[in-house]
Amino acid sequence: MAGRAPIAAKSSALIAMIADEDTVTGFLLAGVGNVDLRRKTNYLIVDSKTTVKAIEDAFKEFTTREDIAIVLISQYVANMIRLHVDTYNKPVPAILEIPSKDHPYDPAHDSVLSRVKYLFSTESVASGRR
Amino acid sequence: MATASAVATEGRFEDEEQCEGSIPARSDDVLEFLDSLDAYLVRMESLSSQLRQGWFELASARHSMGPYRINRVLLDHKDHSAATYLLLNDDGYNERSNLQFRLCKWGSPSNTEETMEGKHDNSNITDHASDSLLRRRGAIQSPVEESKDNTPTKTSTLEEPSSPIQSERLKSLSVFGTLISPKLRTAQLSFESALESLVEMANLRSSVLSTYEKLAKELHEAKAR
Repeated sequence: MAGRAPIAAKSSALIAMIADEDTVTGFLLAGVGNVDLRRKTNYLIVDSKTTVKAIEDAFKEFTTREDIAIVLISQYVANMIRLHVDTYNKPVPAILEIPSKDHPYDPAHDSVLSRVKYLFSTESVASGRR
Repeated sequence: MATASAVATEGRFEDEEQCEGSIPARSDDVLEFLDSLDAYLVRMESLSSQLRQGWFELASARHSMGPYRINRVLLDHKDHSAATYLLLNDDGYNERSNLQFRLCKWGSPSNTEETMEGKHDNSNITDHASDSLLRRRGAIQSPVEESKDNTPTKTSTLEEPSSPIQSERLKSLSVFGTLISPKLRTAQLSFESALESLVEMANLRSSVLSTYEKLAKELHEAKAR
């Protein structure tokens, strides 16, 4: 089946971004920006006018595209769509929550850490000892 | 930490009668899980620091060049491929434990090992250029000289590309014009470093989640007995 995304034969893939302007600009300077023939980009710049629905749509789009392997999302943006981020369970693309200028990283909200904290809860030990 | 050790101990008493071979494996899983988790958190700290550096340098560049020179409106909306992308291993693509990401910077996998440690004094720019230069005319002199002059507000023209990597970097910078602040270049290097951290974090994430799934399954089986 011919893939529409420009993936090379050796499983190359893109990095997608859902973040504020400075973060996206910085990573675009590092060369991760991709615009296809239909003018679809691999990033969404989130500002005060960006709606939650637009963020959700971008998240769904990036997590279903075959040519994207990592999705970077600012943690404060991830908090807006926390349910979608926490219920996402596929190995690829990997979702990485990153800090932003105005919102430092909070491990308590990280989806990876919140998923594995079960092993550190007293309930898991107590139920195992019964 | 203590709880995870208790989990390992619990497993030891329950599994002892059944299969001695599984006991070391379970302890290994716990150790691997904790190591991956610790490495993930350490790498996140490093990423935060690199991003802060990048944001600061971007703000400095915006201050010297003007807010209209570094603006989302200027971003390239013509169709183009990403110069920096990822390579995924093909073994067990859909299995989390076998998944490995590898960064391919500026279209060349060999450049993943180039570090950006010299960016702070920019003195390694010439070294990077000369190391990767096997067929070009000569190393770039002007950026090193400019950085040694320590004139952060001085703008510089785009020098002639001396390697494919440099030419890709310059192409990326040229979106913001020909006269750009040196701070924009250092911001570019900061974000490149951040990308390397992010790829390592992606690999650590795979490791954390795969060992977590293994441990959760073992706990579930232990409870079921």
